[in-house]
Amino acid sequence: MTEYRSRVFIAFLVVGLVGFSLVNMVVDRRALGAGDQELSWWSGLLLDAAVPVQKTIAVPFDLIRGTWWNYVALQDVRDENAALRSKLAAVEDENLQLREALVASGRLALVDEMTDAFDVPMRPAELVGLDVSAWFRSALIDCGRSCGVHAGMPVVSPEHFGLVGLVTTTSLRAAKVMLLIDRQSAVDGLVQRSRARGVVRGGKKALEFEFVARGGDVQVGDEIITSGLGGVYPKGFRIGQVTALSAPDARLLQTATVEPAVDFGRLEQVYVMLRRGPTMELLYSTQDGDAPESAEPPSS
Amino acid sequence: MLQSTLVRFLPAPFCPDLSLLLAVAIGLCGRSVAGGLIFSAFLGCVADLLSGSLLGQHVLLRVLAFAAARSASVRVNLVGTGSRALFVAVLTLLDGLAMGGLTAFFSPGARFVWIGFRTLVLMAGINALAALPTVRLVSWLLGRLRDEDGGRRLVRIEPRGWAA
Repeated sequence: MTEYRSRVFIAFLVVGLVGFSLVNMVVDRRALGAGDQELSWWSGLLLDAAVPVQKTIAVPFDLIRGTWWNYVALQDVRDENAALRSKLAAVEDENLQLREALVASGRLALVDEMTDAFDVPMRPAELVGLDVSAWFRSALIDCGRSCGVHAGMPVVSPEHFGLVGLVTTTSLRAAKVMLLIDRQSAVDGLVQRSRARGVVRGGKKALEFEFVARGGDVQVGDEIITSGLGGVYPKGFRIGQVTALSAPDARLLQTATVEPAVDFGRLEQVYVMLRRGPTMELLYSTQDGDAPESAEPPSS
Repeated sequence: MLQSTLVRFLPAPFCPDLSLLLAVAIGLCGRSVAGGLIFSAFLGCVADLLSGSLLGQHVLLRVLAFAAARSASVRVNLVGTGSRALFVAVLTLLDGLAMGGLTAFFSPGARFVWIGFRTLVLMAGINALAALPTVRLVSWLLGRLRDEDGGRRLVRIEPRGWAA
């Protein structure tokens, strides 16, 4: 009898846990769609506790990696330095010529105004962990609501301002970021050279740029940048470079393989843009109760 | 949390799925079914928080993994190294397929991208290799917690000098 009761209890427990999981998935899915990314108090506590623990665990690994990258792997630094200096000189020369052309056309003042509008406060953050599952590509950073970070804010890398991803969930001291290479990520992009538009999605290994085949001028080596359309990411951030094109066929859409501008394998520091795009603002502002633009960036 | 840090240094397919291995190890070595189920659910919950999955996805899969390991340990001889490794490899494949299926089902509108059969097989192999030390470690830990070493404690013998 005792054994029978025990078996019944176990069966109920299994059914209860399975039911609980399924209900949670449905509720979480609906919350995602409604833009409500406020974690429950216990989830937030767990996420906040994860950050210092992961930092501690990462200390020996960071030490080994730091020793390798800062000492052992510096064999080609001199040649790389010379190549970068040469490239910098060429870029500065090109910049000077472009500015001259803008001045001549009388549009320099307009560009300065756009630069001011583009000047968004940014919060530096450290990447403390990556996704535990191979099916998803997300990251945990050590900045949360206490730093002014909210869901829907874009995340970029400090090197060349390459696009990293989007903040999806926040707790008080931590935030989860869906990376650009996640299979569910989709960014509206355009080719810097030809201005051909398309959508960049996370793929198996690299990014995939889907564009309309007819009239789409995309070549290997083209830079893909954010278009600013969709109201999620600002315009002009680097997404990556086209490395291959699918063979053209009768289909409407063609796909290009894009190598991300950001080296996600070596990502350690990121910047969170403390301003949401208009679409994200519309989606999240009713949940937060305050607009990030009106919030003062917290003093560091 | 350890896995989330390890993935920064090891590419995802080469990093063993520690939460799955732990759930399986407890299913194979643990005595309490209720305790194992609850612990597996907790493991899944933490995995969901540190992952881009929906809350409940890993909970469901870890509970099922524990239940599968528990059933298999009762019905099938999983004492041998090879059988355990094979079991974990098959479970990893099923777990991967289930994760993909759940993601596709609960994410309407999002494009479902298959992870790749090779990646799944690689993950199964890595998990199978990591399962053996994990099961041994869990078995040892549970034994210590239950004080099953009592019968093997060293008895101190103090010899009396019989020649003064």
